[in-house]
Amino acid sequence: MSVYAEGIVVLLCVNAIAAMGVSLLTGFTGIFSLGHAGYMAVGAYMAAILTLRYEFHFIVAILLGGVLAAIIAYVIGVPTLKLIGDYYAIASIGLGEAIRLILENGGTITRGARGFPGIPPYTTLAVAFCFFIIMAFFMFNLINGRFGRAFKACRDDYIAASLLGYNTAKYRILSLVLSAFYCGISGALLAGFLSFIQPIMFDMMKSTELTSIVVFGGLGSMTGTLISVVIITLITELFRPISQYRMLIYGAILVIVMVIRPEGIMGQYEFGRKLGKTLKEKFLGNHFSKEGGKS
Amino acid sequence: MDILLQQIINGLSLGSVYALIAVGYSLVYSVLMFSNFAHGGFLVIGGYICYFALNSMGTGILIAGFLSLLGAGVAAVVTEKVAYQPIRENTNNTLYLLIASMGMSIVIENIFVVTIGGRFRALPAIIPTQPVHLFGLATTSAFDLISLLAAGVFLGILQIILVKTKWGLAIRAAAYNLRIAGLMGVNVNLLISITFFIAGTLAAVGGIFLAVRYTLYPQLGAITIKAFVAAVIGGLGSLPGAVVGSIILGLAEMLTAGFISSQLRDLVVFFFLVITLLVRPQGLFGKNISEKV
Amino acid sequence: MVEVSDNLILRLDHLHKYFGGVPAVKDISFSIQEGELFGLIGPNGAGKTTIFNLITGVYSPDSGKIYYQGEDITALKTYEVINKNIARTFQNLRLFPHSTALENVMVAMQQHHTYSFGEAITHFGKWQKKEREIKSESMDILALVGLAQRAEQKARTLPYGMQRRLEIARALALKPKFLLLDEPAAGMNPEEVNELNHLILDIHSKFKFTILIIEHHMDLVMEICPHIICMNFGTKIAEGNPLEIQRHPEVLKAYLGEEVDEL
Repeated sequence: MSVYAEGIVVLLCVNAIAAMGVSLLTGFTGIFSLGHAGYMAVGAYMAAILTLRYEFHFIVAILLGGVLAAIIAYVIGVPTLKLIGDYYAIASIGLGEAIRLILENGGTITRGARGFPGIPPYTTLAVAFCFFIIMAFFMFNLINGRFGRAFKACRDDYIAASLLGYNTAKYRILSLVLSAFYCGISGALLAGFLSFIQPIMFDMMKSTELTSIVVFGGLGSMTGTLISVVIITLITELFRPISQYRMLIYGAILVIVMVIRPEGIMGQYEFGRKLGKTLKEKFLGNHFSKEGGKS
Repeated sequence: MDILLQQIINGLSLGSVYALIAVGYSLVYSVLMFSNFAHGGFLVIGGYICYFALNSMGTGILIAGFLSLLGAGVAAVVTEKVAYQPIRENTNNTLYLLIASMGMSIVIENIFVVTIGGRFRALPAIIPTQPVHLFGLATTSAFDLISLLAAGVFLGILQIILVKTKWGLAIRAAAYNLRIAGLMGVNVNLLISITFFIAGTLAAVGGIFLAVRYTLYPQLGAITIKAFVAAVIGGLGSLPGAVVGSIILGLAEMLTAGFISSQLRDLVVFFFLVITLLVRPQGLFGKNISEKV
Repeated sequence: MVEVSDNLILRLDHLHKYFGGVPAVKDISFSIQEGELFGLIGPNGAGKTTIFNLITGVYSPDSGKIYYQGEDITALKTYEVINKNIARTFQNLRLFPHSTALENVMVAMQQHHTYSFGEAITHFGKWQKKEREIKSESMDILALVGLAQRAEQKARTLPYGMQRRLEIARALALKPKFLLLDEPAAGMNPEEVNELNHLILDIHSKFKFTILIIEHHMDLVMEICPHIICMNFGTKIAEGNPLEIQRHPEVLKAYLGEEVDEL
């Protein structure tokens, strides 16, 4: 495999891990975030500092990057996710900005806005791929079971969910903490892939990219998220020469998908056990299951 | 002593501009119960219309200002019609509106980036900025006094519209419960359009003052983050809350810049946000946010 | 009228609830015996659903206390009340519309078949056994309400009467000791109401739990509930057995008055 192709695959794995985290939060739990790149930044800097300065083993550093992101998410999530309303969404912008400002003014620890060079290149293709497979295995298992059903119940009708005995705030916070962990791991892998990180890499544009991927893939479909990661990462690579249109395209995707097909390309379908049934419905039974074929 | 007084006036002036933005945002939030993240886009549209009216058409400030307000108001209504109304009619899931508004915010910002470019543009000297001596006690700029005055006038007009007119009453009823307002025979779509128009015009006023203060560029709308924070401090959806929260933020920013470090002024904003969420999450004037209702 | 007994499951003690100064519930007190099939009737706007919302912690009362099995549950949050084995349905349905009938029941059923987070992300350990139990017991409940054939259908595509029964199934899946049914017959035709009567009597005798039914229409309650309370304008106006209620002058006035209004 050429170095370029290898780089693309690593990038796909890194993006997919972060996107699965955002998908769990936004697609399955119905919480909108504008600051998930901030959690990636936390993971990236944590792993960079631990490996370079304190010579931690990179796997430990990556995991601690995820853990720190999860802890920060918990601290922000507890006061905001107990409330109904867009409190978390607004706090998440604030969080993303605050993390960036702290990193830029972090002195010798974060090395400021010019960036953090010389990170050991620990994210090889094998490392990125193994992390992706393990994280995807955990995520798909999680949503296929009692937690997945509980998240969706809290998303669809929090009053009905609480009347089925669910402490909905607890599930919202759990979803946020897990998604931040995924983003932290993703950021840590990115740091080891690029060897150089800069606060500006984790700006609002990166957060928007993650949300666009999830929305395009379909809110409530993990498979859709993975397909969407491939499509959008490749499109971004192909259209690098006209990158000034990139943000315009992300924005337009968000609006158009919401207006025309809020379920995204996959709707809530998952591949796997349901694949056969889905295909059968799509090709044979669309006329009699008009309602069932949707969403 | 004069520096303190001067920073307080500067803070009030900045806060009053935030208030114009935060009140429009809160008005939309109170009716539709979602955060319209495209609100900053209306401000940028207003700023650019004013800039081009002054520079290319050579109009005076009054006409330029009028066109700017009108244009931003219409842009807000169009945004609602194109991006939000179809979603509102399909679902009552505000998550979809939130995502669409994020998309619209990016689209508006980047339309300016790809068409007229991302460079910083200074508005001509339409608003006097010479120093003013206040009774020998302090020195401030005429600009700060004018923006404070203008914000007061526009917020006063909004108050009169809300209290004295039929549509103002309808907006207040809708803020209480949109569905019931609809049942009582209010034309809900028209009402929402009017709400967006008002929000857009107020944002344009804020946009013009911000453009004079900081110059004009496509990402200027990002400053609405501070207006959102102000709205949370005051209580999401509460108009008096939005004003008070904005004033608090303006003062906090200017006093930090004047007495501590101007690099920290943005962090102070987020510090206030965190403190509010921890101590009084419903904000100063907020109500009805717990799950119990 | 209500005999003093140690077997009280629920006791409301001088409950008051105001909305913007308007009383929705005014000085309501009553007690329900364990195992009773208890009816709460009254014209529209009498405050019946508010009582349910107060019991289940959706609202908190302005004054008064609610005791469940002798314990004060007035200040508990909704999910805490539900976890005391209380379940309810809604007057205007609150199913998860995009989920299948089976998933709607499973999300309630799984509360009694939990497994750890570690098992959830690996599918090791108890996961398979518990998931199988959740699914099969949910199917049993769907069969009980006559929806076994519709298990894989999306909830919103079910006919209205079936959606109502699905809501009852979901409440039953919580394995309650005390079930609150909020106008279970609303919008049903006489035939469906008849089927519903049988269903309620069936589950009452089968599970031996306490049921509190709200109804706007008197017929259903009169037929199946031995013990009835009638409310109007937020206050209790009568309590007794169906015969006593039917003859009570205040009840006649409340319902007659309403019929005149509706003309």
